[in-house]
Amino acid sequence: MEDKEFNRLLKICRIKLNENEYSSIKNDVEEIINYFDSLKSVKTDETTEAFHPILIPEKTAEDIPEEFDDIPAILKNTKTYRFYVVGPEL
Amino acid sequence: MNSIEEFNKKQRPGDYYIKLNSELVKLNEKLNIFNTISQENISSGFLFSVKDNICVKNVETTASSKILKGYFPPFNATVVERMKNNGFSFLGKTNMDEFGFGSFGINSEHIAKNPFDERYVTGGSSSGAAAATAILKYHIAIAESTGGSISTPAAFCGVVGFTPTYGSISRYGLIDYSNSLDKIGIMARKSEDIKYVYEKIRGPDSHDTTCVDKKCTDTDKKKIILIDQLITGLDVEIEKEFLLFVKKLENLGYTIEHRSLPFIDKAIPSYYIIAMAEASTNLAKYTGFKYGLKNNDFSQQYNTFFTNARENLGPEAKRRVVLGTFVRSASVKNLYYSKALKVRSLLINELNKILADGFILSPVMPIKTPRFEDTNKLSPLEVYKTDMLTIPPNLCGFPHISFPYSYLHGMPLGAQLVTKHWNDTAIIDFVSKWELSFNYDFKYNLGVLR
Repeated sequence: MEDKEFNRLLKICRIKLNENEYSSIKNDVEEIINYFDSLKSVKTDETTEAFHPILIPEKTAEDIPEEFDDIPAILKNTKTYRFYVVGPEL
Repeated sequence: MNSIEEFNKKQRPGDYYIKLNSELVKLNEKLNIFNTISQENISSGFLFSVKDNICVKNVETTASSKILKGYFPPFNATVVERMKNNGFSFLGKTNMDEFGFGSFGINSEHIAKNPFDERYVTGGSSSGAAAATAILKYHIAIAESTGGSISTPAAFCGVVGFTPTYGSISRYGLIDYSNSLDKIGIMARKSEDIKYVYEKIRGPDSHDTTCVDKKCTDTDKKKIILIDQLITGLDVEIEKEFLLFVKKLENLGYTIEHRSLPFIDKAIPSYYIIAMAEASTNLAKYTGFKYGLKNNDFSQQYNTFFTNARENLGPEAKRRVVLGTFVRSASVKNLYYSKALKVRSLLINELNKILADGFILSPVMPIKTPRFEDTNKLSPLEVYKTDMLTIPPNLCGFPHISFPYSYLHGMPLGAQLVTKHWNDTAIIDFVSKWELSFNYDFKYNLGVLR
């Protein structure tokens, strides 16, 4: 993988690597992708994708707001201002 | 080491547990009580620990990651709620590889050591769960497996580790690693304890729509199937001991049959592609202002803010995020992610045919328990390949159980038995029968006063 491509990938991932991490992780990534390429030898033309190992009934959770008694317990994991979560600029 | 006093003298907090809640203060008192409790009273005060990627209300839950430091869930995971409702007492959160990313338990700030010999790894990712089970006599560990995180540490620490059919135990409150692979399971010293707990915690949950309401069958099989590709390339001593074990089973009346499944080695790349793809999306929620560690410099632009927060991920987590993002890229998605899902489908079909005839048996790991220094010599890819025996059942969601079958140079050796979906109790019963002819050894028996 070219440095340019790897740097683009890091940017998409929002991962910053120091010098040591950069060379070792880049080598690992290349070696592992080569290994992943071994899947090409398996014939799968007539096979469907298994998104789950078992059949999951197509049942979704009801879209009903749930009452929660302890709102401060939820908000204590984040910085808040007047019950709004404070975050960085977009 | 048999007395509480002796344990307290030698205990080094952090080696086995990440943290223990305030109930630790009462540990001695509780253990005194346990000394008078027999197996029949299992539900009246038995201790349970919880892997650190499962939420316990108001107890710091970090999945062993710095990025989640300071996260206190305001709720209990369903499995925790069910354990408490059945009379179990919560002891603490157990150590693990960061987010479950590891086979040896070494991708953690506080690395657990093997209770049999502290020079050796515990196995991962449920490292603390296995170590705690090997130390505490009356204790159940709630653990979690994605690709072998219950079987491997259970084998290295000489305890029984059960991974149920995918979807049989609710995952509400589990910090996701890979949604289509994660399974909550159980470790204990005896299979009968696992069976008891499994019956209490399994079953549908309105909070988890992937948790399926399906009855377990109990189809006993007297046929043991060895897949040739899974028992070649083993460490020489492991192979010798395993074949002796197979001979013992034959003498106990089991029929042994060999089968071949040439592309089973493709389970490893398929598994890692799916696991990394799903992990890379799951970890995107740790942005530095919700859940755990806070970056309070809100003047930073969002991308910089997020990138800085992610510096708190360990090297293995970074590696997996990068690879997971790559295999999901639009230009290569069909080559990797979609292909891996199709290979999983093929493997499920082929293994189902084999499992219709009997149980699949193999060692848990192709190598002996490594010392810490040995793990440094392995590249990440070499580590991934050591999961060759635990990945197929995990990738395909088949229930499996790891149990000690022998001891070599003072360390336990574990075997893994796999069955078809929803035939969970049959493999637990198999191990119960094995336990009638084989005694497990433990170096520590905390909870026993003489």
